[in-house]
Amino acid sequence: MTRKILIVEDDAATAGYVAKGLQEVGFAVETCGDGRDGLFLASEGIFDLLIADRMLPGLDGLAMLNALRAAGIRAPALILSALGTVDDRVKGLQAGADDYLTKPFAFAELLARVEALLRRAEGSGAEPQVTRLTVGDLEIDLLARSVSRQGRAIPLGAREFNLLEFLARHAGQVVTRTMMLEKIWNYHFDPGSNVVDVHIGRLRRKLEEGFEAPILHTVRGAGYRLSLDV
Amino acid sequence: MRISITARLALLAVLLSLVTSLALAGLIWQQTHDDAIEVLRRDTGEQSDALAAVYRSGGVTALAQAISDAQEDDDTLVAALVDGKGARRLGVGPDQLAFPPAAESFRIARIGAAGDWAREEAGVAIRPLGRDWLVSGRLLDDWERAQRTIERALLLAVLLSLVLGICAGLVLTRYVARRLDRIAGAVDAVAAGDLARRVGTEGGGGDAFDRLSLRIDGMLDRIDRLMGELRVVTDSIAHDLRSPIARLRARAEAAATADEPRQREAALAGLLAETDLVMRMLAVLLEISRSEAVTRDALVPLDPAALMEEIADLYAPMVEEAGLRFTVALPPAPVAPVGLHRELLSQALANLIDNALRHAGEGGAIALSLEAGQGDVRFSVADRGPGIAAADRAQALSRFGRLDRARSLPGAGLGLALVESVARLHGGRLELGDNTPGLIATIVIPP
Repeated sequence: MTRKILIVEDDAATAGYVAKGLQEVGFAVETCGDGRDGLFLASEGIFDLLIADRMLPGLDGLAMLNALRAAGIRAPALILSALGTVDDRVKGLQAGADDYLTKPFAFAELLARVEALLRRAEGSGAEPQVTRLTVGDLEIDLLARSVSRQGRAIPLGAREFNLLEFLARHAGQVVTRTMMLEKIWNYHFDPGSNVVDVHIGRLRRKLEEGFEAPILHTVRGAGYRLSLDV
Repeated sequence: MRISITARLALLAVLLSLVTSLALAGLIWQQTHDDAIEVLRRDTGEQSDALAAVYRSGGVTALAQAISDAQEDDDTLVAALVDGKGARRLGVGPDQLAFPPAAESFRIARIGAAGDWAREEAGVAIRPLGRDWLVSGRLLDDWERAQRTIERALLLAVLLSLVLGICAGLVLTRYVARRLDRIAGAVDAVAAGDLARRVGTEGGGGDAFDRLSLRIDGMLDRIDRLMGELRVVTDSIAHDLRSPIARLRARAEAAATADEPRQREAALAGLLAETDLVMRMLAVLLEISRSEAVTRDALVPLDPAALMEEIADLYAPMVEEAGLRFTVALPPAPVAPVGLHRELLSQALANLIDNALRHAGEGGAIALSLEAGQGDVRFSVADRGPGIAAADRAQALSRFGRLDRARSLPGAGLGLALVESVARLHGGRLELGDNTPGLIATIVIPP
């Protein structure tokens, strides 16, 4: 099933760049240039995801989102904004956006977040309360907080476990460094060094040492992916 | 309708002087009014007693004589003998009393049933004399005249106070307007671009206007200083951005002219890395300027120890991978929550740890510690690197110095700038000390 994404963005260059990228990976994309048109299109309820600029002519992104929510449109929304400070991001999320991305951004970052949002929207309701996650030969028991691969137990620290749980919940998808910083450490600033990579490196060593197949892959220029397939 | 501030001030002055003079006049009127009635009551009583005594000693004839004697030098006199129904038998008074006589020590009324006597009020005493009644007293003429005089005088006083009030208002407003114009003139000049202009004081700087002027001058000084700093920062940023952008351009050029796909790919990857560096510099600059604009109500009471532990948790693997010892010293007792900006303070600590990592050298150590004694909360990051010489610390903390350092160490200098502005946001400061050897950087946050 092709999933439909609406892009509401007044900067034609950004809209074109995002639309092209998303079409290439198989999404059906529609774009429009101002908040009123965006509200009109999105209120049909045919889109699986909205990507909206925060500052739009006519009706700004957050106001448009509020109107849609009031009209019962539940599609997840990702807000793009040039307002990039920590406070802006936190306020944008508090104002009802499901995710917030600062311009300029790498397309890989946007794609990873789009897929995470779609996965979350499809997963919600369908699976009630998961207590076990399985990725290939890796098994994660969320209740006992224990991990085993091919039946062999792998001891993990609390933070490593959280990291693995997050990766496993997005198994097969790319998870970016900033997504991990936001979701696991709840930091919205960019530490500017490879702190996350070091955590991932440790986790990877524990998950892969003594096993044939790699399971935690680095996706160049984007982030990481937990999956048995390469 | 909008009234100019001058007119409003004048109006206020007039109103105030009116209120004071009216209050004064009212008080005088009230006092004289009461006194006059008191005098009349006393006079009436005495007159009544005297006439009764005359009647008792000489009967009706003597009374009539006494009344006609008294009438000669007093045309306001009331002194009559009336029968039980109020009809006058003799003396001065109405032919028919307006009310049936009964013993009364004092009463103010129109005593006549008709004619002149019904028109004017009189203060009278009524007492029985044999079968008849003696009505004696005085018409109110005297009293009324006195009162009218007082009222006229009061009216005049009110009018006078109105005129005086207007004059006072005009003088006052002219004075206030002149003082305000001086301030407004200076502010306008600054707004028009003359940043060096100040209001200055007039007459020793003691009064409220001078105090206002001093405050405005203080504000203008700060604006001037900030503008100056901003200019330096903008210049420095433009300067700092030149080299990464020049590198960016070189990489782009290399990518454009590369023949081999592998070379082009390498150049493009370098291009992306350089772009990220520029973006990060801009993000940090934005964060600095925003943290200076954040108000203190963005601070939320938080446990400083938890904040320290969380950032340490993020950095611990990285420090260990770099081959350094990493220690976190927290106070043994729980620390009371302090108003903190979690994100910005964490970022500041992250910057300090990053700096320590960059300067710690081989086999060193990084020590985080939190102290919460004597009111101040102190977040310290210490390393064993070369440190900063005491003479250079002030310069390292000043904006100029930092930007000079930033030039020699790309990406590093702005980190300290952010740390300091975050400390200032919390009402605190950044201290750089000697860790013998090494640098110990402390964010001090007062309670």
